[in-house]
This record gives sequence, C-alpha cells and structure tokens, in this order.
Amino acid sequence: MNMFLRSLIVLLPVLILVFFAKILLVDDEIKFKDFESKNFPEFSLNDLNGDPVRAQSLDGIKLVNVWASWCITCLVEHPFLTKLSGQNFKIIGLNYKDSNAKAVAWLEKHGSPFLFSIYDPRGDLAFDLGVTGAPETFLIIDRKIVAHIQGEMTQKKWDAIFAPKIFKARQPS
Amino acid sequence: MIFDKFFKLAFLISIALPGTSQMLYEFESSQQEKRFYLLISEIRCPKCTSGSIASSDAPVSRDLKNKVYELVLSGATDQEIKFYVSDRFGDFSDYRPSMEGANYFLWFSPFAVFILLIIIFSIKRRV
Amino acid sequence: MIGEIAHFLSLSAAVLFGLILIFNFFFYFGKASPNQLVLSTRLFNQACWLVFFSFGIYIYLAINDDFSIAYIASHSNTQLPVFYKITSIWSAHEGSMFLWIVFLIAWSILFIKSLDQNHPLKKLTLLMLSLIILGFLLFLLLTSNPFERILPFGALEGADINPVLQDPALAIHPPMLYLGYVGFVISFSFITAYLVNGNFSLQWEQDIKSWSLLAWIFLTIGIALGSWWAYYELGWGGYWFWDPVENVALMPWLAATAFMHSLFASSKSNVLKAWTMFLGILIFSLSLFGAFIVRSGIIDSVHSFANDPQRGLYLLTFSGLISLFAIGVFAYRLPALNSSNLVVTGSKESFLSMNNILMITSIFSIFLGVTYPLIIESIYSEKVSIGPPYYNSIFAPLILIAAIFIMISIDALWQRRMSFRTFILSILTPTILSVLTIYIIWKITNVFSVLAFIGILSGLLILFSYSIKIITNFIDKKYINKGSAISHIGLGVLFLAISLNSILSYEKNLNLAPGQSIAINDSLKDFSFKSIKVLEASNHDVISAEVSVIQDNRSLSLNPQKRKYTTRGQITSESAIKASVLKDTYLTIGDQLDNGSWTFSLKINYFIKWIWLSVAIMVFGMLLTIFKNKTS
Repeated sequence: MNMFLRSLIVLLPVLILVFFAKILLVDDEIKFKDFESKNFPEFSLNDLNGDPVRAQSLDGIKLVNVWASWCITCLVEHPFLTKLSGQNFKIIGLNYKDSNAKAVAWLEKHGSPFLFSIYDPRGDLAFDLGVTGAPETFLIIDRKIVAHIQGEMTQKKWDAIFAPKIFKARQPS
Repeated sequence: MIFDKFFKLAFLISIALPGTSQMLYEFESSQQEKRFYLLISEIRCPKCTSGSIASSDAPVSRDLKNKVYELVLSGATDQEIKFYVSDRFGDFSDYRPSMEGANYFLWFSPFAVFILLIIIFSIKRRV
Repeated sequence: MIGEIAHFLSLSAAVLFGLILIFNFFFYFGKASPNQLVLSTRLFNQACWLVFFSFGIYIYLAINDDFSIAYIASHSNTQLPVFYKITSIWSAHEGSMFLWIVFLIAWSILFIKSLDQNHPLKKLTLLMLSLIILGFLLFLLLTSNPFERILPFGALEGADINPVLQDPALAIHPPMLYLGYVGFVISFSFITAYLVNGNFSLQWEQDIKSWSLLAWIFLTIGIALGSWWAYYELGWGGYWFWDPVENVALMPWLAATAFMHSLFASSKSNVLKAWTMFLGILIFSLSLFGAFIVRSGIIDSVHSFANDPQRGLYLLTFSGLISLFAIGVFAYRLPALNSSNLVVTGSKESFLSMNNILMITSIFSIFLGVTYPLIIESIYSEKVSIGPPYYNSIFAPLILIAAIFIMISIDALWQRRMSFRTFILSILTPTILSVLTIYIIWKITNVFSVLAFIGILSGLLILFSYSIKIITNFIDKKYINKGSAISHIGLGVLFLAISLNSILSYEKNLNLAPGQSIAINDSLKDFSFKSIKVLEASNHDVISAEVSVIQDNRSLSLNPQKRKYTTRGQITSESAIKASVLKDTYLTIGDQLDNGSWTFSLKINYFIKWIWLSVAIMVFGMLLTIFKNKTS
C-alpha cells in the first residue's frame, strides 16, 4: 500500500508533464478535426442587386465566403479567392453587416471572385451559421456544410481542410 | 422609392434592438428576467478569448444576447436555448459542461478524490 | 551602452550561480565543510547583488526612455508619468519575468542570511535556491531577454503601455502576486533540503514558519488586487470568473492555506509531518505550473502573455524537473517520515487533517477544470468550456464542509478527543442561529438559490460560532487566539458577502437619448441621462456621459466614459461606480444606436465592499499571528 502510494505520488506529476509536453509539441493550427456536417440553414435574403437568392444556388460544391467592406483581412485573402474562382471553384459571397452601397463599391474596386453575394446586413444568416466575424469560409456540398474556416483563407488551410473533402465529393460514387 | 426608404428606416429602427423602448430587455416577470441574466452569464462569447456574452461587448455577443432575449420571451426552456446557441456556435458555448459521457468524470471525480483522501488518512491513523 | 552593462551583470550572476552548483558538486555533496559553505555563501550573495544592480539599472533605463532596448520601446512612452514608466517594466512577459527573478533572489538572500552559519541545512538550501534561480535566469537570458536591443539607433518613441494597464491597482498587482508566488520557494527549498539531508530528528517548522506566513499575505493581497482591478476596470461588474489565470493563482493559495494549518499541527503536536512537507513542496510547484500556464499560451485566457511554444517547453521542462526532484525525494523518504505521534480521532489535529483533505480536493477540482478542455481536445478533438457553473457547484459543498469543521474545531483539543457534549454544544447554537438568519434572509429578499444559500450558511456558521466563542471567552477571561479568530471571521465574511452578492445583485440594460429619463424600480426612482460630450485628454479622446440617478431617495451623479487612446487606437470603457456600504451602483456606456440614443448597462452589485473588507480582515489576522510567532 505504501509502495503503491509512493509511486503514485511520483507518477501523477510525470503524467501531467508528459501530457503538457505533448500539447506544446503538436501543431494546433492544421488539426484535421472531424466536422459534423449540418444542413445549410434556411434563409430568405436578397443578393446585392436586390434579387431574392434561391436555395438551389447552393447545390453542388460551393464555397460561402463571409466578407464585408469594413473587413481588412478580407482584402488580404482576396487574391487567393480570386485564384480559386479562376480555377473554377464556385464562390458565393455573404456580405455581413455591411451597407449595400459600400459592398458594391468594394467589389467594383477590387474585383469580385463571387458568383453573387447574399446581402445580410443584420447578420441573421451569419448568426445561424455561427459566424463570429469576417472573414470566414464555409464549404457546402449538396446544401450541407461540411467544413468551416474562421479567419483568413490560406493555401495551407485550403489544402488541409477543404481540398480533401472536395476531392472526396468529386469521386464518382 | 419613398416606400423603399421608409421601409428601410422602419427596418433599421426595428432591427436596432428588440423593442425601442427605454428598457432594452423588458420581461413579463422578474423570474424571466433572472433566467435571462443567468443564461447569458453561462453562454460563452464565441469571439473572445474568454468570458461570457454578458461580459462582452463584441457584436456577435450582442446578437446572441438579443437572440437569447427573444427566446426567453418566446417561452423556450434553458435547455432549448443553450441547444439553439451551441447548434450554431459549437458545444464550447456553454460554460456549464453537460452531464454526459466523459463529463461524468469531470463532475464526480472531486467527490471521489475527497473520499479517497479520507480513506488514505484513516488508514494511516490508528488511534 | 548602459543596457549592455545591465545585461552583463545578469549574465555574470548566472555564471556565479552555475559556479556554486558545479563547485559543490565536485567537492562532495553532503557534509558541510566550513570553507565550502563560506565560499558558497559569498558567491551566492555576490550573485544576488549583481542581479539587483542589473535590475536597478534597468529601472534607470526605463525612466530615462532608453528606446534602444526593445522591451522598453514596446511598452513605455516618453509621455508616461514616471510611476508608469517603472510599472511598464512588468507589464509584459520579459520584464515581469525579470521582476519575478528579482523577488526570488530577494527572498532567498534574506532567508539564507537568517540561517545560522552552523545550520545543518544551510548549504543544501543554498544549493537548491541557486539551482532554481539559475534555471529562471537562463530562461530569461536565453528565451525572454529583456535586454535585447533595437539596432542601430533604437526607436524614437515608445509604443506605449497598454492603456488598460495604466492603472495603480494593476501596477501593484503583479509585484504583490509574485512576492507571494516566489515567497514559497523558501519552504520548497528548505523542505527539500531537509529531505535530502535525511536527518529527521531535526526541527524544521520554526525556521520557515514566519517566512511562509508572510508569503501567504502577499499572495492573498496579490489575488485580491487582481480581482479588485478586474471589478472596476473591465466593465462587467464581476470580480471572479474562474478564468484559468485566476485559477492558477488560487491553487497555490489553497495549498499555502492548507500548509499553514498543517504546519501548526505539525509543530505543535508532532503529527501530520508528511502531509505538511508535501504541501510545502506543492505550493511552489503549483506556482511554477501557474507561470508555465500563463506564459506558454497553452490556454485561452484574456490574461495570457505572448504565445511561444519554445518558452513554454523550457518552463515546462524546468518546472517539471525541479518539482519532480522534490516530490521524488519526498516519496523516497516517505517511510522514514513517520510522525512520532498519531492523530487522535476527534482532536484538533484530526480536524486540521480534514482541512488538508478539503484543500487538496479543491486544488484537484480546479486543476481538473483547467486541464479538462485540453484533455478533451486532445482525445476527442472537441472543444468544451468549463466555467463558473462548474466551479461554483463543486465549491459550494466543499466550503460548507469546511465551515462545519471550522465551527467544530474552535473548541477542539490538542491530542485529545473532543467530548460528545462539547461537540453538540459547539454546533448547536451557531446552527440554530444560522438557520434562523437564513430564514429571515429568505423572507426579506424573496430569492432562493441552492448554491448561494449554502454559501450563506457557511459564512453564518463561522461568524456565529466565532462570535459566541469570543464573547464567552471574554466573559470567562479565557485565552483567545486573536489572529486565528480574526482571520476566520474574515473568511466567514467573505463567504457571506460572495453569496449575498450573487443572489441580490441585478442588472438593467437601458436605451436612452440625451435628455431622457426613466423610472426603473422602487429603489431607482429616476435614471436621467443628462448629456453626452466629446472631450480630449492628454493621450486619449473621450466620450463622456453625465447621468444622474435617484437611488433610495438620494441623488447620485455618474460619469461613465468611453476612451480611445491615440497611440494604439485602443478603445476602453471606464465604468462609473458609486460604492456604498450595502451596494455598488455600476454604470457602463454601451453603444450609440442609429436613432441617436445610447445603450447603458446599469448593475447594482451588493456587498462588494464587504468582499474587499473580508480580505483585509484575513490579512490583519495573519499579521497578528506572525507578530505573535515572532515575539514568542
């Protein structure tokens, strides 16, 4: 009993140390977590031109990118999005808590990688998606959210999180 | 055109807050009010490094507070409200860990440790 | 140039500490040959003074705006008052680490001096301290160098301290806290030295008692200052959130409290020696763990310093090795550490053991709460949050059990079992009075919360039992341990104040345009938003609101503000607080809405002053105890 207790007293701190060392040494950023896919929430919003957005526009493989004219990081990821749209990935913008006029002006100034942008000035749809700020990007496959990136979209994040799911979706079933 | 502007104005005023009365959150009873304030103290701000939505000024916190207010008023239970929030923002939005699975260890191990220490102490003492 | 001198002094100190260790290692670790000890002590003192001078020069550099030093450039500013130029030194990682080391050395040099030259443990303690100091010095110089320069010309102007830190409470909070944290290196090193030495007929408790009690005071004040600052600065009206960084300060405090009580039993009755030694080692180990958690960025907290895995790894390894060494020696020597007496059931010592058990359980719960999210994330890749609901639920029953045992142990006897009659009498009156009082409170306030009422009961049990004891002992002219009584009364007040605060406080969110007013409830008959102005101050722009409130038929004027600091563009909120005996009226401005009105958050917080008062009472009681200990 005594021996057991004594070894326990030493073993516990050792386990704690090893545990923390492991956490420190694992690169957190690109941990591939299993994401529970959920249905894209229902919404009835217009696009920046004032036309209602149809739910069917989310069919197939789509990216939904949350952006705003006041968002500085959105400008940083903009070239990457442009590159993606050039590679024929379909991106739908979600204009978040912005003014229609400013959003349109921003797109005119910087170019639009989007098929169109959903106008969400109150952030209702964004709220239902769990958006906490801009930029964020969702991967939608057949109207289901299968992946979610918060913050700037980079090649690294794309390769680790979105690309594998897209690749899988494109396999003939 | 004018209708558009009017609509937008009314729209903006009405979306500014739930009700433009002087009390931001008006309740039907003090119980309801207490429930609301308790709930927002247990829901984590999704954007902050730490802290509840009650203590945060971030835009998403404000949206969440308004939403919780609406839900409380509509009669949803605490459970339903928390589920509504974690459905959108993830399980870590709830500062109260649920009573399921691995969390049983979390909730009951302090008690177990307490008993264990008493046992260890009792064995070593013999008078 | 001067910065280089300071840097050199610290480096030399590190070399000297290293030399002490190498020197002793080669010349037989064990028997204290007088010359060895004399040389080691001299080197030790010299090394300590080198660091003091180095830090002194650093302060000089900060006051004189030497922006060729990168750290000073990123945290200070020519426009700062001298006081804040100095306090900016410990406003971030490198500088605060430097301060930590200075305090470590201050405690060490004083303690070593206090040990008689012939003291059998002097050399081992000195070696242990040198090892710890060297480890931290190397950490500072190798991974977190405060002396790094911006070459070739330095910055023209400093980046300015975070405006949130330009605050007197926040200026003294780290020094107080660190003095507490590192003060327990004394008990850690001395006990480890004792264990390594192996002569268990030596008395060790007296040598470290006063030092530990003093360190406890600093730790208590340090934690309270942090809580006080959070209350009036952060705008949320709360004073404790069970945030990981608060928790890692609370754990050593709990261990220290347990240690002191256990030390009492150990020195008085020769019991619980092993428990006491274990606790003495645990305190500093938890301090090290806390330093690691805060500075490695591993846990999300508003309080975290820079996120740097390399620093984290160094701290983890170093703290881990030091703690493991001490714990290992303890475990190794455990069989030989039999206390000469056994604890009698129902004696004062047995109740003090319960205290140890409760404290260790609390520490375990907090530790679990802090690490659980990390564990879950690494196993299941899920994120969970642990917050006040968990901690409050776990702590409520623990503090009730603690209160009951405090109540019982007042009349407990040393080494003798308490008679059943005494037991019943000791709990009867306080319990009846407490239950009555709770009933009255419930009737008056008309609120009920299980956890809060457990807290109220705990506080009342302690207060009533001590009040009765003091009165009866005064009448019978019997001895009262004043220090202990006062500290425990302080604890009772704390439990009571926290619990009442949680059930009585409330919040109202308002939306008013300038010139508007509203009647809120019976107590707040009028809340009038008089005006709002935009002003300019030396380093910030201000939006200042004037509000006048009629509360309890008295008129209060409140002036909440929002500030935008020019240097960093940071926006802070300055809440307006009017504190009275019973409650604090706490007003924060929100945002302006599209229609020109402003939102306000009005919080009425009850018994806040009593929380701060209770800490003062506890500290006062401890001061009396130290004084009595020193003069006996």
